[in-house]
This record gives sequence, structure tokens and C-alpha cells, in this order.
Amino acid sequence: MADDPENSVDKPDDNDAGKPEKMFTLKKWNAVAMWSWDVECDICAICRVQVMDSCLRCQAENKRDVLGRQDCVVVWGECNHSFHHCCMSLWVKQNNRCPLCQQEWSIQRMGK
Amino acid sequence: MSLKPKVVEFFEVWPRLRGIAESVITLRKVERAIWNTSFSDVYTLCVAQPEPMADRLYNETKEFLESHVQVMLTRKVLEDTREDQKDNKATSDLLQRYYTTWMEYSQGIKYLHQLYIYLNQQHIKKQKITDTESFYGNLSSDAAEQMEIGELGLDIWRVYMVEFLASELVRHILEGIAVDRASNGTLDWHRVQTINGVIHSFVEVQDYKKTGSLKLYQDLFEAPMLEASGAYYTNEANKLLQRCTVSEYMQEVIKILECESKRAKKFLHVSSLAKLRKQCEEKFINDRLGFIYSECREMVSEERRQDLRNMYIVLKPIPDNLKAELIQTFLEHIKNEGLETVNALKGENIHIAFVENMLKVHQKYQELIAAVFENDSLFLSALDKACASVINRRPSERQPCRSAEYVAKYCDTLLKKSKTCEAEIDQKLTNNITIFKYIEDKDVYQKFYSRLLAKRLIHEQSQSMDAEEGMINRLKQACGYEFTNKLHRMFTDISVSADLNNKFNNHLKDAGIDLGINLSIKVLQAGAWPLGSTQVIPFAVPQEFEKSIKMFEDYYHNLFSGRKLTWLHHMCHGELKLSHLKKSYIVTMQTYQMAVMLLFETCDSLSCREIQNTLQLNDETFQKHMQPMIESKLLNASSENLTGETRIELNMDYTNKRTKFKISSALQKETPQEVEHTINSVDEDRKLFLQAAIVRIMKSRKVLKHNALIQEVLSLPKVSFTPNIAMIKKCVESLIDKQYIERTANSGDEYSYMA
Ligand SMILES: [Zn+2]
Ligand SMILES: [Zn+2]
Ligand SMILES: [Zn+2]
Repeated sequence: MADDPENSVDKPDDNDAGKPEKMFTLKKWNAVAMWSWDVECDICAICRVQVMDSCLRCQAENKRDVLGRQDCVVVWGECNHSFHHCCMSLWVKQNNRCPLCQQEWSIQRMGK
Repeated sequence: MSLKPKVVEFFEVWPRLRGIAESVITLRKVERAIWNTSFSDVYTLCVAQPEPMADRLYNETKEFLESHVQVMLTRKVLEDTREDQKDNKATSDLLQRYYTTWMEYSQGIKYLHQLYIYLNQQHIKKQKITDTESFYGNLSSDAAEQMEIGELGLDIWRVYMVEFLASELVRHILEGIAVDRASNGTLDWHRVQTINGVIHSFVEVQDYKKTGSLKLYQDLFEAPMLEASGAYYTNEANKLLQRCTVSEYMQEVIKILECESKRAKKFLHVSSLAKLRKQCEEKFINDRLGFIYSECREMVSEERRQDLRNMYIVLKPIPDNLKAELIQTFLEHIKNEGLETVNALKGENIHIAFVENMLKVHQKYQELIAAVFENDSLFLSALDKACASVINRRPSERQPCRSAEYVAKYCDTLLKKSKTCEAEIDQKLTNNITIFKYIEDKDVYQKFYSRLLAKRLIHEQSQSMDAEEGMINRLKQACGYEFTNKLHRMFTDISVSADLNNKFNNHLKDAGIDLGINLSIKVLQAGAWPLGSTQVIPFAVPQEFEKSIKMFEDYYHNLFSGRKLTWLHHMCHGELKLSHLKKSYIVTMQTYQMAVMLLFETCDSLSCREIQNTLQLNDETFQKHMQPMIESKLLNASSENLTGETRIELNMDYTNKRTKFKISSALQKETPQEVEHTINSVDEDRKLFLQAAIVRIMKSRKVLKHNALIQEVLSLPKVSFTPNIAMIKKCVESLIDKQYIERTANSGDEYSYMA
């Protein structure tokens, strides 16, 4: 057990006299969460790179926004399949169907 | 004096003029009036009517000079007429006589040149001009060869004096120099001046020539002088070898080089200095390299600075390839010392010792190179090679080199909260870059660095964010933006999160919601953070946390679309207020531990199995978090080993003189699996990097042969690792699979880019 040297003064705590006292109360929570695109498959079927990373073309061109994030978002089709937006916009020029299910491609939503 | 051309008789003027010319050239006093008369005599003859007599004057003057020089040769130079002959011990007074005569003649001819200024400027210059214009094509060849009187006089001196006496003069000069050498440069000043004057007369006599004015000097004197000096040096070197150690020999040679260069300045024309120096180096150094190197190994290994300094001075002028032995020996020496200092390292702080020991070696030899080898780039690059070979050495064929890991950990130690002052940390981080630069697998370093940075950022262990940023900037400077891209993204996540928390709290306040808990949430982007396996550990979140989580998720999804949040509970911690004891306490602990404590709100005793099932924790997580709780004595266990049946209950007698404390956890210690995972993930990243590079190359080249593509990849600016060909081939194959590139139809070993 490690004592915290900065807070060692022995003093009575301020109890809320009104409420029935609980034995354990959460005072503070330092939580860590991770965000990722809400996709079924986290690899883009077109370029085979994780959708969290930029697509291969963007990595090759070193595209990124001012914060240093590579500016390569995810796009979902009505079929619920998802790809890099960059990869998909090139793909539909040749074939306007989802590469995974062959349904006609139409955008359901884009990542932000 | 009348300027009007008139009829004159040559023989009336010439004898008078000749007499004055003789006085002028022998430096006798000539009255101003007589000088002026003679001056106009030259003019009168040059413009005489009906025919100018310039050519005749020239020929008569030439004859006069020729006979004058020949008379001087026999009367003044060859024949010793000096009265103080008995007092002069020197037998070679030929030099003295020649020199005195030359001093008189060279001055006299300058005056005579002045006297003949009209002839020089009007007749001879004009002739030169018309020569070049070839206007008068029928000019006699004799006339074409006419020189100005000053030049003519010098040329006559060369023909009748210098070339006649040459071998005698040179013999005497070389004797003189030999005497100076034998007497350690104490030849008397007067004699030195004479020899110097004679030597320089060979140059001065040809000075007027526009090209090849040194040829006489070189043929006549310089060549034999160099040869004689060379023989002398060889002989001296032989003598030194008889009586000297290598160390003494080098000292002597340095002295001799210095004396000889002084001597050269004392006697020779400036154009000979480098040649004589070269001769000296050749005979004392190049010809004796075997001897000089014979103790090289000992001198280096015992670091005999004075000897090494001397060896450097001695070897400095010779070609680089001949210095290789010293440099190689020096390199091996540094390498051995480096290996010695890092090989024996053991224990927990091996990374600190590794970096600091290597730094000591580096600094020591950097200092030595500055003090002994004048910061010579050959030696600096030997230091670089030695350090790189120690730092990148693999302990064995099977084991990876761990330097990248050590250097990254060293940074971590410095950047973590500690009592060391900021200036010192800053200095150490800067020094650390010295070692970092030698690492070949910089991407391995980056992996370790980013993992340790992640831990510092998530657990808020950084000494200062300024220091963190400073270090990232140093790395960026050394390796470029790509190298630190992910580190920057991690940094950005932390500051974006701080902002997000503020906004979230304001949002709660505006909505009048009080969660009753001080909430701070870090949202990290997947991909940028090296969090090892990101498999979510199962955990039944206690309802006490649920409201906070839901409120935040709602807020977050409202702000961003298409994102999902995964809570990394194993990285969360918080403060729990305990009110079940005589005093109340505030305890910092992990989320899992808080969840365990919360279970005792409603019951006094639980079995381990019950706790584990309620919280849905796996064995490993449960054991890891439960043990510290028992050790802290907040909870009592019915047996030392925690099995399913072990009963856990609150320790109602717990006391602590501190009201605020934390339960230590072994969480932040790294496991061997983590290290291995880190190393393996490097390979994946290398492939991705190569694929991106190949796409980039193919996009700009469109079509490329296999070998040309490989060459281009290999010649990429080396950022963080050296790619091997097998890996490049694999990447090409996988890009063909992914239809980024294809084999061209006409050739099997040619690829083209698919847009
Ligand atoms: Zn893609
Ligand atoms: Zn992209
Ligand atoms: Zn689909």
C-alpha cells in the first residue's frame, strides 16, 4: 500500500447529514474509452487496410488534416457494408455495386 | 632638347652614349644634365633623318651588354679580386661574387632601361603591336625578336652568366644548405642572404616572361635540390631508425618537418615550399609507414594521447587510404570498449545503464577526437561506425537486438514524474538523441516509445507536457513527420478529450443533471494507440457507473456519427469514499476494485466465486485486482490462496492514519508478452509502409520493371528501417492481389499501375 504524502491530514469528512449514509460512494472516475467506426468488419474490403487507419492511397499521399489525423472517413451503404470513403468513391466510378454483396450502392451515412 | 628630327651621324653620338650606358649599368654617379643629354641622344637616334637609327642603336647596345657581362664574368665572378680574401674562411666565394655582381647588374639594367625609354616605348613596343597586326609583313625576323632593353639585359645575363656557371653555382648552393642542415639552421645571416639571392636570381632573370618564367629555376636548381634533399632525408630517416622508438621517431620527424619548412622559407622560391615538404613527408613518413604503424595497436589500446597526437600529425598529410590502419585500429578499440560496457549489463535498470554507458563511451571518444585528431571527419565517422555496430549488435543469431527498447525505456524513465530538475532532464533527453541516431531499427524504438507514451498519458504520469512535446519534436527533427505522426495523434486525443470533458460538464450543468461524481473521460482513437490486444475484457458494469456511461455516450454520439465507444475498464480508476469505518477514507483504486467494494454495500461476506460471477471477471483479472485489496487489509480473506470457496469480508477494524490513499497495483508493470507483441507488430507496420511506398512509386512511374521497382524502394530515404528484398517481393504480390498493380501483358517481370 502506498500512502499519498500530499493528503495525509486527519480531519472529519463533511457528511450530508440529510441523506441516509451509504457505505461506499463513488467520488471520482477517470475513465478511458476508445472510439472506432461502428462497422461490422474493421478491414476495408477494397484496400484491405483497417478502416481506423487511412486507406492505402491516402497513406501513400500523406493526406491529413491540421490535427495530424489522416482525413479518410468511413462510408456505410444501405446494405450496411462499410468501406473507406476514398476507396468506395473510386470503386463506384467503375461499378456502382457493393463489392461485398453486389447490391446497388447507395450511401446510408458517412462518418464524422 | 629639341624634338625636331634631324640628320645625325651615328658614330658621333654612339661612343658618348655608350660611355654613359657603362656608367649607368655599373651604378656610377651620373650627373642629371648628362643623363638628360643621353636620354635625348636615344631619342635623336631613333628619329634620325633620313633613316631612323633605332635598329642600329639596338644592335650596338646588345653588343655592348654582351661584352659587359662577359667582362664581369671573367673579372668579377671567376677571378677573386677581393682584397679581404685572407679574412674570409669560406672557400666557395663564387656565390658571394656572383651575388654581388648580380645585385649591381640587376639594378644597373633597370636604370639603363629607363635611359632607353624612348626606344623601348616607341620603337620596340610599336614593333610589337605591328607584329601582332601583321601590317608590315616584310619586317625582318631580327627586328621581330627585339626585346626591351631591360629584358634584353636579363636575357644576356642568363646566356653568358647563369648558364655558364649553373652547375658550379648549384653545387655551392647545395653545400650551403647542407651546412645549414648540419648546423641546425645556424648558418650566418649574411651567407643565408647570399644563397637566397643567388637562388632567386634564377627566377628574377626570367621574371619578365609571361609564361614559363619558373622553368629555368626549376630545371637548373629545383630538380637537383629536391633530389639532394630526398637523399639527405632518406639518410636521416635511416639514422633515426637506428636509435629511436616509434614514439621518439615521430617526435623527431615532427621537429624535422618544422625545421625543413622554415629552411625552405629561408632559402627557396615560394613555389618550391610544397614540393620540398612533400619530399620530406615521402622519405620520413610514406617510406616508413611499416615502422610508424608497428606500435599502433598499443598506442591506441593504451590511449597514449601524446603518441596518438604525434601519429596524427605525422599521418595527416598522407593519402587517406594510408591512414586506414590507424583509423581501423581506433574503430576496433572504441567498439571493444563499447561492447565491454554494455555486454555485462543485468537487472531492472539495464536500460539506464545501457544508454548512460554508451553515452560515456561516445562522449569520451568525441572529446579524444577533438583533442587529439582535430575533429577529423575520418575519425568521427569511425566513432559513428563503432557506436552503430555496438548498438545494433544482436547478442546472437536468434535473439533480437534490444537497444531500441532500452533507449525508449530510458526516455520513459526521464519523462515520468520524478524529483530530477527539468533542466537536467532536458539535457539528458538531448544526449539520448545521440544514441537514438545510431539505432538501425528506428521503428522498433518507435513502437516501444509509443507504448510507453500511451501509458504515461493515460495514467497521467508525465512529469510535464512540455517535456513530452519537446521529446516528440526532437524525434520529428531526427526522423521526420511520418515517424512521429501517431505520437502526435495520441497527444491530440488527450487535448481533445480535455476539451470534450469541459463541454460535457457544461452540457450537464445546462440540463440540470448532477451525476454526483467527478467524471473525467479520455477518448482515444483506435489505431493510433498501441494498447496491445484491444480485446474487451468481459465486465458487468455496476449500476453505480451506468448512469455516467449512458449520459456520456448519448452526448458523444450526438456529437459524432458512425462512431462507437468501447470502455477500457482495465485502464480506468477512481476514488471511492469509504464510510463503514470509524473514520471515513477516500481511496484511489481500479474500476474492478471499486466494483468489488460496491458489492459489500448489501452483504457482509461473499465467496470469491460469487464475486467473480457477479462481476463476470475472468480468473486472471480477478486475481490481479483482488490480491492488492487483501494486501491493503481493506478486505479479509479466509485463506491465503484465493480459490472459489475463499470467503471475503470487509475488515471493520481497518484503520489508517491517512484519510486519503491509494491501492497500489502491479498493473503498470510490463509483461514479457507485451514486449513480444510490440516486436511482432513492427513487421506488420513495415509491410504496410512498403506497400504504401510501392503504390506511390507505381503511381508516378505507371510502368516499371521488377528490378527497377526494387531499386527504387531500396533507395527511398531510409526513415526507420532497412527493407529486405523478400519483404518487398511479398508486398508486391499482395498489391497485385489487391489489384493496385498488375503484371503487364508483354512481360512477366514488369508491373503497371492500375488507377
Ligand atoms: Zn479502403
Ligand atoms: Zn483515403
Ligand atoms: Zn453490401
